[in-house]
Amino acid sequence: MGNGKMNQEKEHLKLVIVGHIDHGKSTLIGRLFYDTDSLPEDKMEDIKQTCEALGRELEFGFIMDHLEEEREQGITIDTAQTFFNTDKREYIIIDAPGHVEFIKNMITGASQAEAAILIVDAEEGIKEQTKRHSYVLSMLGLKQIIAVVNKMDLVDYKQERFEEIKKDLLNFLQDLDIKPNYVIPITAKQGDNIVKLSENMKWYNGVTILESLDSFKPKPSICDSPLRLPIQDIYKVGDKRINAGRIESGRIKKDDTIVILPENKITKVKSVEKYMEDISEAKAGESTGIITEDALFLDRGMVICHQDNKPRVTDTIETNIFWISKQPFDISKPITIKIATQEVKCTVEKMIKKINSSTLETIEGDSNILNELEVGSIILKTEKPVVIDDFNSVPGIGRFVLEEDQNICAGGIITKIK
Amino acid sequence: MIIVLAIDALEYDLVEEFNCKNLKQDFYGKTNISEFSQPRTMVLWSSFMTGENKEKEVLSEGNKEMWNKKWDLKETFFSHFKNPIILDLPGFNYDLEVHEKSRKDLKSFFETELQEDKEKIRKIYNQDAFGHHRKIKEAFLTALNENHDFVLGYFSVADVIGHLNFGNKLMMKMIYKDLDDLAAKTKQKENNTLIVLSDHGMKSIGQFGDHSHYGFWSANKDLNNPKITDFYNFITSL
Repeated sequence: MGNGKMNQEKEHLKLVIVGHIDHGKSTLIGRLFYDTDSLPEDKMEDIKQTCEALGRELEFGFIMDHLEEEREQGITIDTAQTFFNTDKREYIIIDAPGHVEFIKNMITGASQAEAAILIVDAEEGIKEQTKRHSYVLSMLGLKQIIAVVNKMDLVDYKQERFEEIKKDLLNFLQDLDIKPNYVIPITAKQGDNIVKLSENMKWYNGVTILESLDSFKPKPSICDSPLRLPIQDIYKVGDKRINAGRIESGRIKKDDTIVILPENKITKVKSVEKYMEDISEAKAGESTGIITEDALFLDRGMVICHQDNKPRVTDTIETNIFWISKQPFDISKPITIKIATQEVKCTVEKMIKKINSSTLETIEGDSNILNELEVGSIILKTEKPVVIDDFNSVPGIGRFVLEEDQNICAGGIITKIK
Repeated sequence: MIIVLAIDALEYDLVEEFNCKNLKQDFYGKTNISEFSQPRTMVLWSSFMTGENKEKEVLSEGNKEMWNKKWDLKETFFSHFKNPIILDLPGFNYDLEVHEKSRKDLKSFFETELQEDKEKIRKIYNQDAFGHHRKIKEAFLTALNENHDFVLGYFSVADVIGHLNFGNKLMMKMIYKDLDDLAAKTKQKENNTLIVLSDHGMKSIGQFGDHSHYGFWSANKDLNNPKITDFYNFITSL
């Protein structure tokens, strides 16, 4: 059994499980924890005993209740105990959509799922929340997705029913530009095709949920991502000009050939400094100072990167924003966008869609206003070009905040670069 | 068939929190028991079945004797039915031995100071409560398939387990889910009418639970903040 502590040595992958209410999210999560021995033995025993005492079968949904209770009581801090493990890695289950916090964290880039399981009831098929949650997956640009058709026992494990739902689902997801990597028939309650292939569905010759999850790749660590060093300040010390900033991603070292955007100036790193100390290399998360070989006049807001993997320079970006200010956003008015150290005025070119973050319903009607806790898919036009990435490729300058009178009104991520 | 799920200490706030849809039915709320000096089980169920406030009468029996109180069928609205079945209701036909033992164990739990003894008592106390619950549940489900015009099942598990384990949210949720499933089973026949009623609710005292000053009700019509004595007329008029 798991000991309830996260293993820092092991690889991690953040997973979100979405789907219509009562289609079996909790049961699947409980089953994954149970079948991978990831719950403390005494807690599992409590659940088993109480089910037995009540004269009921063991219900896996109660495992989820236990995890939620711990989170509410603050026993579970951050990710501890909300994970299950396989030989390959540990899976961290993050909050499910329908929770405002989840949407907020995802849109502002505070916590990012790396894979998703979309669950559909074999009897009921695609329902309203299946659609809403799928839209969220598409909005967040998630690419590692497993679709599962649950409660196969209720349709006598019939292949025809599975194929029918699979077809509906794939058609529907195609319109959202989502291609699930796997579509798996399961019965979470009985453990069919969760960690081992089911005897009840011999016609299915694909993989189990666990095998499919293990085939996914975690995002590379920010140190191994392409270099993004937004310049924060320039210090003159003697005849040296030190370009200081916090490295958002990647590494920089002495003698690297670098490009400074948006000016597109190319030079070499003469030295990498930290508190006047000459170090040979600095990496993501560190604040550092760079001296270039050529005497260039750089400025706050410029971004240092390597030549082989440059961000884009553009004045038009497609974004998803989460509006947090009580004061509604009148999209006809200009607003300040801050992307790391870049700060520029921008206007909304187009509002593509807006949704309510708690119900995930699309909001019809006045498309010129974005209210508190609403999410808008919008195209922004900046006053001058900005240096950016698609959030899902390089998050550091793929996320931003919008400010009015120096107050943060929204967080956002860049989904497409025009 | 008219069915009453008489659930001791079913707490309104937990029904909401755990979203027990079947216990809630179309209309639900808190009952008004403010006319009673304290939320006492025997007083409240006695008042329910007779349609009158029986606080004085029950208390006059004395703290110990009151638990042996038995109302005659003729004094209750059950007599309005041709073939009623009442399962384990306090003040009518409940299992004296079982309920007395649980009260005794509860008393011993709070009297002993040894943690080890407390745990032993808790274990036996919980086992007995769950065992009794399974027995009544089985009898109740059997009665639903028999030829009765009125079935009342009294379930004490939320109260008995709640007193010692109210802080164990997961255990309470599992109990509420079981009761909710029981409510769902009463709806399997089209002509069944279900009334869910509790004498009082439960509030948390640390890890333990104590009676709260309102009960829970649900029905297929709005009863608008009913008193427990109102159910006499409501049920007989159905």
